[in-house]
Amino acid sequence: MFPKELKKHLLKVQKPGRYTGGELNSVVKDKSKIDIRYAFCFPDTYEIGMSHLGMKILYSLINSREDSWCERVFAPDTDMEKILRDNGIPLYALESGDAVKDFDAIGFTMQYELSYTNVLNMLDLAGLPVRASERKELTPVVMVGGTCVCNSEPMADFVDIVLPGDGEEVTNEVIDLLKQFKKENKSKQEFLTAASQIPGVYVPSLYDIGYNADGTVKSITALCGAPQKVVKRNVADLDKMFAPESFVVPFIETVFDRTTVELFRGCIRGCRFCQAGFLSRPLREKSPEEAERQCRAICDSTGYDEISLCSLSTSDYRGLEKLLNNMLTWTEERKINIALPSLRVDNFPQELMKRLTSVRRSGLTFAPEAGTQRMRDVINKNITEREILETSARAFAGGWNAVKLYFMIGLPTETDEDIKGIADLAQAVVDEFYKNPNKPKGKGAQVNISLASLVPKPFTPFQWEAQDTPDVLIEKQKYLISCVKSGKISVSRHVPWTSFLEGVFARGDRRLCAVIEKAWRNGCHFDSWEEHLKKETWLAAFEECGIDPFFYTARKRSFDEILPWDMMDYGVTKAFLISENKKAHNGETTPSCREKCSGCGAARLNGGVCNEMRKTVV
Amino acid sequence: MKCARLWYKKSGMAIYTSHLDMNRCFSKAVTRADIPLWYTEGFNPHPYMTFLAPLALGQSAKREPIDIKLEDDEITFDRVKSRLNAVLPEGLEIVDVTEGRMKPGEIAKAKYKIRCFFICEADAVSFRKNALNVLNSGEMFAEKRSKRGVKTVNLCPMVSKCVITAVDSLAVVEAVLSAGNNENLNPQLFIETLAQYSESEFDDIDIIRQSLLTESGELFE
Repeated sequence: MFPKELKKHLLKVQKPGRYTGGELNSVVKDKSKIDIRYAFCFPDTYEIGMSHLGMKILYSLINSREDSWCERVFAPDTDMEKILRDNGIPLYALESGDAVKDFDAIGFTMQYELSYTNVLNMLDLAGLPVRASERKELTPVVMVGGTCVCNSEPMADFVDIVLPGDGEEVTNEVIDLLKQFKKENKSKQEFLTAASQIPGVYVPSLYDIGYNADGTVKSITALCGAPQKVVKRNVADLDKMFAPESFVVPFIETVFDRTTVELFRGCIRGCRFCQAGFLSRPLREKSPEEAERQCRAICDSTGYDEISLCSLSTSDYRGLEKLLNNMLTWTEERKINIALPSLRVDNFPQELMKRLTSVRRSGLTFAPEAGTQRMRDVINKNITEREILETSARAFAGGWNAVKLYFMIGLPTETDEDIKGIADLAQAVVDEFYKNPNKPKGKGAQVNISLASLVPKPFTPFQWEAQDTPDVLIEKQKYLISCVKSGKISVSRHVPWTSFLEGVFARGDRRLCAVIEKAWRNGCHFDSWEEHLKKETWLAAFEECGIDPFFYTARKRSFDEILPWDMMDYGVTKAFLISENKKAHNGETTPSCREKCSGCGAARLNGGVCNEMRKTVV
Repeated sequence: MKCARLWYKKSGMAIYTSHLDMNRCFSKAVTRADIPLWYTEGFNPHPYMTFLAPLALGQSAKREPIDIKLEDDEITFDRVKSRLNAVLPEGLEIVDVTEGRMKPGEIAKAKYKIRCFFICEADAVSFRKNALNVLNSGEMFAEKRSKRGVKTVNLCPMVSKCVITAVDSLAVVEAVLSAGNNENLNPQLFIETLAQYSESEFDDIDIIRQSLLTESGELFE
């Protein structure tokens, strides 16, 4: 529902279906019977937020409690924002149409750094002060979770509570505490101090940060009995974990018009640039039986004709063949397409592949990430050129003609030869197409290179590395394009300034809060949308705050420097990351967890036993 | 295979669903209801389903037709109706399932009820008076967008009937306008142009499509 006064404006905005609520499976409760009203905010537009699995899980989880009601809130697009501001309508939640400022808890998911200004903008649209210290009342409590909170320091002044790791258990514990403290009329300070005692809860205001003269962090001091290290939460058994059986089905088309079921968390691969892979260790798998049951339940309740089996590397799922064979018995009949993102096609049974693509055929994508074997060894991406070419050949023989290849530039130790290698590899794939005697008639090969730039992230072996400046990246992109000789190859690039800002905030500290606030006040938001990113405004904000953004990106850090996120513990030890960093510079690879345990340290989160070790022993 | 014509009602939040999204919405509903639809046999199979008279964004409707093909000859129309109603989101409801008696091409007109909310009673009354004069003059031009570009056309020939009543600050316009593939007049464009010619400004409007009619004014079935 939306506020009444909005009705006459709704048809003036693009896609009004984003702002109405009332979708199938959305949850409406009787307010008078609710203790905790929770606004789950996604700091981007409806179409993007509604495609996000984490939100669906927490929405169902909170709504499964009788005492709580979770509603959804998205960032209004600029046309709608203007209407809200011009008419003094505060940001509202989609289910009730009630103002977000009156909720007990406001939870933001922070999936990418460039959504930070949207968080501020949404708080402001709600009519709340953006700074946590200026929100004096107990409620609403502003909490954040998601990938980016492994270093929430650039947002430390704006949020009350940070929840690193899996949210399924800790969300309930925080709600329980808030319910109790609200009933007892306790103060916000009392609540925050008590919350910091819950394992896996980080309260930024309870930490004092000291700085050295050179700008690096000197000390991190926990106050009021808060823990010196906050250990991320880890759900040990995915079969017993809460999993939703129905999702809200949007009226309008969203980014992913399909439903999603998770197969496992964690990753055995250890690609050295991949933050998600390290943050989500140790590996925990759902059983194929439970995964199938969830797929069926969700298809029944939503009616989607596509289901995505998601994880960081789907072909590493041990139950995959069993799951697919079981699922195909009903998905084929019901014309449901199974999408397998992050699938390595090299060792995938042909017969199964054929059946999978019998309903609808999706695109073919590889992520070699680097152009030469040397470079792939540095980043520990264990895929060889032979594997890529053989799989392409097989795909071309099966009727495909378009292949998308993901690469990264700006990697440590990168040379011109490595960049040229990207073009060479793409050319080799094109050549593979023309070698095929049964190539589809009338179609040429199409190879698309998608070129990203490395943003070194916390909790990866590259967290100490310097990031290439935008100017250097632009030169490297130009060089790559000059190496591409075939019209069959197209190159799509990321905007280096986007990666630059992302890099600043990924490894930034608390002093950036002032910059974010300034940039937002000067009109920056939706920074992840190329057309909205205001580079000059951002640079001016850094300047006004007396902060050099290149301090955070262009500087190589020493292993003994205190990092702004050192109060966080994601399981993987610093010693392991250091050894991985050294191996990278030596061009040495590390085997996957399934081949050999490398002792990353994450096993202790699961009571000392890593699933990988246990299952290989059994 | 058996053909059926579903008649649905659109109201509430569902009116903000565009024609394209309605298609998606009903495909999913049919799947949830486990109604065996006949699938197209192309590269990307999808259930056969045709909305006979697209409805513009933001307009409600009482009885709108969708043609479907059922794979199963045994299933009764009553079952189709009750199963769909059990799974449709609020604001969408199947009011009837029939065998299509007329060809889709016979749709030529539609009857609308347009409620115009004015700031005060005087505005509503003057709108009514002026609007009737405009309609009687037989000339009311507006820019109409079509596939061939923007053209200025006279809307009056596309208005077969129009009754206006004013009560307090509300004016109710009941109009029969051209609809269908040959000639179509969007009631939004009609009412906005009418208000402009009548030198009136309404605060808000509600548009409800009451029924679809044939060229001779007979109810489309």
